[in-house]
Amino acid sequence: MKYVILIHSNPQPWGHPTPDFLPEHQALPQEEREAGSRAFEEGLAAITERGELVHAEALAAPSSSRLLRWEGDRKVAVDGPYAEGKEHLAGFFLIDVDTAERAEEIAGIFGARGETIELRPVMSGEPDVS
Amino acid sequence: MWRREAPHVLSTLLRRYGDFTTCEDAVQLALIAAAEQWPREGTPRNPAAWLTRVASRRAVDLLRADAARRDREERAATREPGRASDPADPVESDAPDDTLLLLMLCAHPALTTASQVALMLRAVGGLTTAQIAQCFFVEERTMGQRISRAKRTLAGQGARFEAPTAADLPARLHAVRHAVAAVYAQDHALTERVRGTDPLLAAAALDLARRIHRLAPSDPENAGLLALLLLTHARAPARLDAAGEIVPLAEQDRSRWSPRLIAEGIALIERALPVGPVGPFQLQAAIAAVHAEARSMEDTDWAQILVLYGMLDAVEPAPSVTLGLAVATAEVAGPEAGLEILDRLPEGSHRRQAVTGHLLSRLGRADEAREAFLRAAEGTRSLPEQRYLHRLAGAIRPG
Repeated sequence: MKYVILIHSNPQPWGHPTPDFLPEHQALPQEEREAGSRAFEEGLAAITERGELVHAEALAAPSSSRLLRWEGDRKVAVDGPYAEGKEHLAGFFLIDVDTAERAEEIAGIFGARGETIELRPVMSGEPDVS
Repeated sequence: MWRREAPHVLSTLLRRYGDFTTCEDAVQLALIAAAEQWPREGTPRNPAAWLTRVASRRAVDLLRADAARRDREERAATREPGRASDPADPVESDAPDDTLLLLMLCAHPALTTASQVALMLRAVGGLTTAQIAQCFFVEERTMGQRISRAKRTLAGQGARFEAPTAADLPARLHAVRHAVAAVYAQDHALTERVRGTDPLLAAAALDLARRIHRLAPSDPENAGLLALLLLTHARAPARLDAAGEIVPLAEQDRSRWSPRLIAEGIALIERALPVGPVGPFQLQAAIAAVHAEARSMEDTDWAQILVLYGMLDAVEPAPSVTLGLAVATAEVAGPEAGLEILDRLPEGSHRRQAVTGHLLSRLGRADEAREAFLRAAEGTRSLPEQRYLHRLAGAIRPG
C-alpha cells in the first residue's frame, strides 16, 4: 500500500530540514536537537534499506510558486503562495508498506514540534494483500 | 525463453554453495552476461550449462570478495573443489522438485507477501528487477532494496534450500499458492492502470501455477490454484471495456470469455474435487467454474455458489469470502438476507459499502444506495473502481 507523507510546516526563513528553522525546535537543548536529527537520519536509512521509501522531495519556498487560475476561459497566472496559512506544504515522502500501522509508524519519524504531518493513502489500485 | 533456465541454474548453485543471497545474485549476473553476449555471439548450444558455468564463477567471485564471509567461502571451496570453473563440466541434473523447494524458500513465513512475490518473480518467474518494479509501480532501486532485504531476512532466519518436514510441507505449499495468487491479483491492478499493457504478471502466475501442479500433482489444491487462475483469466478479455473502464461480471460480454481456458479449468477442477481434502483454492475454482458455465447472470446456479461460499467460509474465512457469501445469499434468499451477512464486515470497508449499494438499490432504497456507493468510492484506492462506483451513484434515480 502506498502512502504519501506530507510535511506541513512554516520554517522562518524557508529552509530544510524544516525543524531547524522553527522556533519551537530551536528552543530545545542542543543534545535533544542532535538526537532528533540522528533519529531522522536513522529512520530514513531504515526505510530506504527496507525498500519502503519510493520517493521524497523537499519543496522550494511557497513564495516561489506560480498559481494558475481560470477566469472563465482565460488562464491567469499569479505569484504564490497558494494560501496565507500558518503552514505550507514543505516536502513529501512517498512510501510503500504492507500495513496502515506501518505507514503511521513511519510517519512518526518525520516532522517535529510545530509541524503537522499528513498521512494520505495513494490511489495505487493495488489489491489488498491479506 | 532462456530465462526459464534460471531456477534450475539457481537450484544447482544452491546445492553447491548453499547461500541464497550469493547464489541468486550470481544467477542475475549470469543472466545479464547472457543478455549482453548471446545476441552478439549467438546462443550457446546448451544455455543451461553456459548459465550454470558463468553463475558458478560469479558465485565464487562474490564469495571471495566478501571478506566478512570468509568462513562461508571456505565451506564452499571444500564442498566443490575446482568444479565451478571447469567449462567441460556437464550441467548437474536437477531433480524436478528443486523448483518447488525454491518456491517454498521464496514463500518463507518470515517474509511479507509483497516480498515473497517479488522474490518468487525474480528467482523462479525469470522477471528482472526492473520488470518487477514496473509491475508494482515503484522504482527499480526500491524494488532492488526490497529483494535484497528479503534475501537477508531469509539468511537471518537460517532458511535453507532443503525440503521442509512432512508436518510443515502442507503449510509451506499453501503459502506458495497464496503468493502465486497474489501475483495474479497484481496483474489486474497493472492492466487497469496501464491500458493495453502485456499481461506479464498473469502469464507469470499461470506459468508458476502450471509448474507447481506438474511438480506436485498429488495435492489437489495445486490443481485448484491452476483451475482458479485459468477460469479467472478466461474472463480477462471482458473485464475492461475499450476505454479501460471496469465491466462488472453481470454486464460482461460472455462471448469474449475464453472457451479454451474455461474448458481446461473445468476439467482440472472436476478431476481434483473428488480426490479431497477440499481446500480453499479448489472451492474458489469451483465457484469460478459455476460462473464460467452460466450463459448469463440470471442463468447462474446461485444455490450451488452459496453452498460453495459456505464451505469456503468454514475452511478459510476472509472479508472477500464474506462478500461473496452476501452476494450469493442475496441471489438465493433476497437482498435483506444479503445485507444481514454484510453486517459481519466493518462498516468502513469500501467493498462492503459497494455491495450494500447494489443490494439497497435492488430494494428500491435509492438514497441509501447512492450514499453507500459514494462511501465505497471514497474508500477505494483504485481509480478505475472509483470511477465505476461514481457512475453507479450517479445512475441512481432519486427515491
